[in-house]
Amino acid sequence: MSFLVNKFSFTNPRWHVFSRIIAAIFGGYASATASSLFISLLLQPIAGKYQAIHIGLMLTFFVYACAVMWVFTVTSASRAWLGLFKFNAFLLIGTWLLLQVNS
Amino acid sequence: MKDNFRQSMKWLHTWVGLAVGWVLFFMFLTGTLGYFYQEITRWMEPERPLVAHHYSNEKLIDIAQNYYDKHGAGDIEWDIILPTVRDNNLRVGWREPRKEGEKRSRYKVKVIDIDTASKVQTRETQGGRLLYRMHYRLHYLSTSLSYWIVGFCTMLMLLALITGVVIHKKIFSDFFTFRAKKGLPGWLDIHNVLSVIALPFHFMITYSGLLFFLFTYMVLSTDLQTNEEQYKEMRKEIYPRAAHIKSIGEAQDMLPISTLYQQVKNTNTWKADELSYVSVSAQNDINAQVAFVRHETDITYNPQDTVVVNGITGEIITQAALEYTTAGMIHNGLFSLHEGQFAGTIARWLYFFTGLIGTAMIASGLVLWTTKRKPQQLKKPKGPDFGYRLVEQLNIGTLIGLPIAIAMYFYANRLLPLTMADRANWEAHVMFISWALLLVYPAFRPKTKAWSEQLNLATVVFIFMPILNALTTNKHLGITLSHGDWQYAGFDLTMLVIGLTFAFAGVKFKKAQRNKRSQRVNSKGRPLNINTAVESELVLNKENRGAL
Amino acid sequence: MLLLICLGFSTMVLFCMAMEKHRQQVINSEVPQYLSNSFRPMAWLLLVITFYMSGDLYGWSIGPAVFFGALTAALLALILLLTYKAEVVPLLAIILPLAAISNFYL
Repeated sequence: MSFLVNKFSFTNPRWHVFSRIIAAIFGGYASATASSLFISLLLQPIAGKYQAIHIGLMLTFFVYACAVMWVFTVTSASRAWLGLFKFNAFLLIGTWLLLQVNS
Repeated sequence: MKDNFRQSMKWLHTWVGLAVGWVLFFMFLTGTLGYFYQEITRWMEPERPLVAHHYSNEKLIDIAQNYYDKHGAGDIEWDIILPTVRDNNLRVGWREPRKEGEKRSRYKVKVIDIDTASKVQTRETQGGRLLYRMHYRLHYLSTSLSYWIVGFCTMLMLLALITGVVIHKKIFSDFFTFRAKKGLPGWLDIHNVLSVIALPFHFMITYSGLLFFLFTYMVLSTDLQTNEEQYKEMRKEIYPRAAHIKSIGEAQDMLPISTLYQQVKNTNTWKADELSYVSVSAQNDINAQVAFVRHETDITYNPQDTVVVNGITGEIITQAALEYTTAGMIHNGLFSLHEGQFAGTIARWLYFFTGLIGTAMIASGLVLWTTKRKPQQLKKPKGPDFGYRLVEQLNIGTLIGLPIAIAMYFYANRLLPLTMADRANWEAHVMFISWALLLVYPAFRPKTKAWSEQLNLATVVFIFMPILNALTTNKHLGITLSHGDWQYAGFDLTMLVIGLTFAFAGVKFKKAQRNKRSQRVNSKGRPLNINTAVESELVLNKENRGAL
Repeated sequence: MLLLICLGFSTMVLFCMAMEKHRQQVINSEVPQYLSNSFRPMAWLLLVITFYMSGDLYGWSIGPAVFFGALTAALLALILLLTYKAEVVPLLAIILPLAAISNFYL
């Protein structure tokens, strides 16, 4: 019984790893998507609408990879979540601003 | 997460590799075989005639057109696929009319015997194409689920590559290091060497693999940025296609295709035997067009590869060249590099070997994980952990078991009765059933025995394949080699070489086991050879302090 | 293609000799300082030449891909030789490209 409690209690270090994994997979995907929106709006005046979207999409995999790598480098899982929120917020606000500028 | 950046990356590299290593091994192995899928199909359809003579293209086109006129489904679009270096049979293909309940009409290819101008009845098989399609569509799973699984694994592969480069800080000074004789550093060195010598290829194949399903994976992003119409427009821009020729409905006789071909030859700079296939659209209609296509010569699009001719008058229709944006050119260029369709014989073998290097890189990484942990795992009071045992079992069953299973696919092709119902699918079932057995039985054997047994089985199975071919068909190596049928003979010979490689591996494995046993026996007192023991300690300590 | 692999082989040998650890594997005698310092620049030069030859022989889109393939083949051969038969390496590095070039142009 105490064994089970220990396994599932949140003080078990495995939860931190699990938390990072969730942050990496879903937060990383969110960052990738947000970055593609941001990049495509950034490049639209230069490359035309469809090519800008295309370039943004092609670069997402690297953003995703970097985000995942970053999540496993920071000192704690909560810092990882916080950092991802900040990054996504920055990208989304940037995207919104670019939308205002473009239209 | 760990004390420093490199250690965290090392952790990530290890776990990312371990999570999907076996799926990646499957993808790399089937994909590498896919570079030769036409040659494999040739071997799996031994009824195809040996081609002894070389007819001119015009004669071949005539034979094909006669066949189509006699047996064609009345369809207005059909293709003539001429013999190439990779497949020296003449083939005719068209879309059968759509059957009930099918989403798309099926495209059937028929092999034509040049001498008798009739169809060759080949056994029902999915050939080499199934192997290469498995590498991105897996098997038994729905297509979209497979795409997501494959995409997840490929993303982890990309992570493994990037983290691998990051942690291998001595990438240039250790470029040529391969300490072959000393156990653990040996496997790490193998893994490093295999990754480094083909690093551009590994990155290219992984990233281009992800690009294949770009719009599937980034569905959220595309949905947010484009509506349905814009999406279709964007796709047309990224994957430009020539316009589809439709028949108007007014019948008009066409010139014979070989005549059209002669006109093309007179006005073109193509070399004599470059013609690869002929595509007829709107047959016998006022809108008839015939496209003569030569073998892909380039990674990027070359408009000179296709000549389109008006089917009635024979005049050349200058097509607007397909427009590519810069990003589109990079995207499609990466597709070209991944598929290697442009590759001639030598380049294709290079692709094959480099693919095998990638496969071996993954395999060596998986073996490295167990080898590194073996000493401390064996010392545990209740025996090795569940995780360690699971990994070792998966290793045996996949790294040796999957090649054996693929060999079983070929054996099934030869041994299953020709009139069996659903034969093509059963060849694949045999492959997966044998893989399952090979994955499960190591649980009941001591691990070293399981390794040797599977290595021995692999040796026997591959070396016996040319013999099996000789016993079950009338085209054994003596005949195919003397006829110069290099696709067929090449397959038999490659199987022999693979079998010999497994034999070599088996011998090496036995030798290593014998050395370990003698070391263990003698370490009760003093190591048998003090020099090697001390030397290996120093090597491990000094040179690996940073690298591991 | 064989020409490219042989040139790639020599390039990699030169890179290898530029590093002290590997040079000692290959040559037992002492090499004068000026010579060993020149190995790396020579290696880079030969690398550029090999790249140019692949572009020249195969066209500029397929050429670079073939270049990397040839390097991979050369590296694999070199590493196996270094491990098992290091003495043969400098000799091969000189003979192979000469043989390949003469075969190619004659």
